[in-house]
Amino acid sequence: MVKEECKALLDALNKVTACYRHMVLTIGGTSDSQNLREELKKTRQKAQELAVANRNKLTTVLKDKTVSKEDKAEFERLWVIFSTCLEILEIDMRRALELGHEFPLNVPKKHLIQTGMSGGTSGVAARAMSVQNMKYEAEHNIDVVDLKDLENEINQVGEMMYEMEMKVNVPQWTVEAKQDPGAELKSTISVGASSIGMISVEENKSFCDISKVLAGIVFSAVLIIAIVLAVCVVKLS
Amino acid sequence: MTVTRLDQGQRYRPRMAFLKKIEALMMEMQNPDTGIKTQTQTVMIANIPHAVTGNDILQWILQRLQITAEEALHLGDLFVKYGYIYPLQEPKNLTLKADGSLYRFQTPYFWPVQSWAADDTDYAIYLAKKNIKRKGILEEYEKEHYNMLNQKINYKWDFVIMQAKEQYKAGKERKKEDRYALDCQERAYWLVNRTPPGMQDVLEYGVDRVTDPNENKIMYYQQAIVKTRVKSSVSLGGLVKYSEQFLSNDPILSGCLPSNPWITDDPEFWDLNAKLVEVPTRMRVERWAFNFNELIRDPKGRQNFQLFLKKEFSGENLSFWEACEDLKYGDQSKVKEKAEEIYKLFLAPGARRWINIDGTTMGITVKGLKHPHRYVLDAAQTHIYMLMKKDSYGRYLKSPIYKEMLAKAIVPQETVKKRQVKLAVIVGTGLFGRRHLRSSPSPIILRQQEEEAKAREAATTVDITQVMSKLDRRNQPQKEPPPK
Repeated sequence: MVKEECKALLDALNKVTACYRHMVLTIGGTSDSQNLREELKKTRQKAQELAVANRNKLTTVLKDKTVSKEDKAEFERLWVIFSTCLEILEIDMRRALELGHEFPLNVPKKHLIQTGMSGGTSGVAARAMSVQNMKYEAEHNIDVVDLKDLENEINQVGEMMYEMEMKVNVPQWTVEAKQDPGAELKSTISVGASSIGMISVEENKSFCDISKVLAGIVFSAVLIIAIVLAVCVVKLS
Repeated sequence: MTVTRLDQGQRYRPRMAFLKKIEALMMEMQNPDTGIKTQTQTVMIANIPHAVTGNDILQWILQRLQITAEEALHLGDLFVKYGYIYPLQEPKNLTLKADGSLYRFQTPYFWPVQSWAADDTDYAIYLAKKNIKRKGILEEYEKEHYNMLNQKINYKWDFVIMQAKEQYKAGKERKKEDRYALDCQERAYWLVNRTPPGMQDVLEYGVDRVTDPNENKIMYYQQAIVKTRVKSSVSLGGLVKYSEQFLSNDPILSGCLPSNPWITDDPEFWDLNAKLVEVPTRMRVERWAFNFNELIRDPKGRQNFQLFLKKEFSGENLSFWEACEDLKYGDQSKVKEKAEEIYKLFLAPGARRWINIDGTTMGITVKGLKHPHRYVLDAAQTHIYMLMKKDSYGRYLKSPIYKEMLAKAIVPQETVKKRQVKLAVIVGTGLFGRRHLRSSPSPIILRQQEEEAKAREAATTVDITQVMSKLDRRNQPQKEPPPK
């Protein structure tokens, strides 16, 4: 029971971290906007809430002496995942702070880098916040105002990580991964064939396909000719 | 918590200061009026904006920085190599071509940063994502890295897989064109930070990448932390104590008796305090009681101490100490002979004036005497010094010899006041011409006198072995009768 809850919380944190990473990638580029900054802020706050929830749950479990050995190993594994996730989150937050300072949005002299992005990140943000659509209600200078909050939150995360390290004694290297290398391939994620990111692969594929298609065409042509001949023979005879 | 390893590469190199300059140029390039004109890149069915040709970049650099074409080409090439601009048509070829080949600007997140290097965990996540996208088709070197990382950060592997899946899913929420651009960006970033074999790694600095120029500083500070320190309260306390003790002896602060020769032109003070004067002043004798060093540095004190030591049959200690001092500060051309004499007289087993030092020190000294030099007897000298200080000195201060000297010591009278002296001098010079100033004896003569005194003393010293042998001979006949 507790395990499932912990796993669910961890999955949620993982998702939000991934979305946050996606959004930080777009700071400074052409899809940067006030909306993006607001999305960043909301995602970040959600991430922090989840982090706190995770930490509380996991610390109570790890401090519990009545847990069996396998359970304890499992919880330690979850703990390692949690702390790594938090590290990634902290790094991304720091990066966001740096980039936020470098690319303020309302300064006319500073131009955004033309990175080739044209769409927005609202989909990603909606995924992070687990809502259907994102609502934007912040002021127009959130990019500057938010930076102070961001600094404070980075400090908070840093402190949380330090506390975690001090209170819970889990040596990371003793945890063994459950998944083997290449486990991601066994997942049932369908790789969209319409993704245009696979140009070279598609070229190869299309080459093989072409030969197959040709063969198919030739075969069907032969079949049709045979049928036509048979019909002619029947008609003539 | 990940242990962040000490990054000995980029972090310390001041060369990285150029990154900020490139960033400034990058931002200028984006200016819609004065920057570079962008085109749209057509990939399959999608149009992705913001592509620039190599030639455009080159022309812009030439015009903006006013440098030669060769330099501009090199600079543009560096932009590409460091990952600020990436090529679209030949992703692996990170060079700037001055023709129509297309490039695009890298997103600021992926710009090279001095403060942190590309993380292994991130690279693992990227490889896992690529694995998902390409269904297991990775390049050879990427496969190697993948396996190596799997072993290296195995404890994080679950997280890597989870995060890769999530990032992949989150990416799907974006437009197709954006997804494509993102892929290109990421690929370019990792080509710069984890170069495939055969490609030049710009972030490497060659052999001296491994050494840290701050190494010496680090070592120095580490040693400085470990150094034993004396509290300033303690050292200042020592200084205060010393000052208080010697205050009365200081001629400037407490005046000197009979009078300060520099002021009154009266050398009586120097006469009374001559090295081996008959009767020393009281201040001087009292000074011997402050510490052992005062006693032993004063020739008169040494003389007196020697008298005392003779009574205790340990006179050879002080003689040995004096001989060592002579070796240290004396004529260096005679070092070998002096050392040999000292050995014969004091150190050899059965020597006439054998000194009592422990086995290890004797061993070291004898060994060192094979190649004698100024400080060869230092260990033995220190041992004897400490012996005298801890043992004989205490008794000396309580002995009748010292007390006698203290009683005999004179307290010179303060001479006439300055004004009267001046008058006398004026009168004297006026009446009798120039006052005859007697010069003190020449140092050469003084030294000769000292050496004669030493020789006399050496001849008359009684040494312990002779005494003990005499005592034995005296005892033996007495012992014989009883057994009979």
